[in-house]
Amino acid sequence: MTTALTQGLERIPDQIGYLVISEEGVLASAGELENDELTAGVIMQMVRTACRFRLHGTAEPPFKRMSVMFEDYVYAVTISGQKVFVVKRQNNQREPVIV
Amino acid sequence: MGCCFSAGSNQDDPKKLLIPDPNLNKIPTNGSDRNADSLPSNRTDEQALLTTILQRPALNIIDVSAVISQGLEQHEYMDRARQYSTKLDVLSRTLSQKKPVPLPSLSSQPHQVLAADLVSYADVQQVSKIAAYAYSAISQIKVDAKEELVVQFAIP
Repeated sequence: MTTALTQGLERIPDQIGYLVISEEGVLASAGELENDELTAGVIMQMVRTACRFRLHGTAEPPFKRMSVMFEDYVYAVTISGQKVFVVKRQNNQREPVIV
Repeated sequence: MGCCFSAGSNQDDPKKLLIPDPNLNKIPTNGSDRNADSLPSNRTDEQALLTTILQRPALNIIDVSAVISQGLEQHEYMDRARQYSTKLDVLSRTLSQKKPVPLPSLSSQPHQVLAADLVSYADVQQVSKIAAYAYSAISQIKVDAKEELVVQFAIP
């Protein structure tokens, strides 16, 4: 089961780690997020809070992906089928140079 | 060492317990009772002090196991058991209703969503600017006291 979940995550460009989390706990982890239950816990809390936001009384959460951005890396988070998918990607974006 | 219990000291106790405790006055003693009088005086004082220290909590302790229970009649017991179990049922029903909200599904293609382009630098800058404005606005919230909060009633 985990290979089906993780195959797609492995192939994400410039990913340096990922987590698949369910209500019961971490289902899969790899790279820099391997066995990182601490980060998993924090991200679960953040995403549950974010899911409570609503825009103008709509019924669903107003977003598809939550990004936690740091200077050099980003945690991209989404939910599908009662599972939270987290991928840590390199953040190569810098201020555009005006020539 | 042990505890010497001198016979006279426990009889002038002014407090009476609500539930007479059959275990009161049963402070553990050992064979040194009989030798109490022959000890030098400061030793007896010390023993007396220790005894008073022990008597104080002993008077205040209510030994629940020693209290003779009133005894419930069979039907009374059954009635109470029934009452308690209905109360528990009601409570357990209200407790089980507090289920955590299930996770909504944000996408059916999680890998696609996560592999998509990251938030652009320009967007991040804009969001940071907006957050900074919001922070500055919130920090400027203050109370504008126009009148006295506490006034005297003027009764003509």
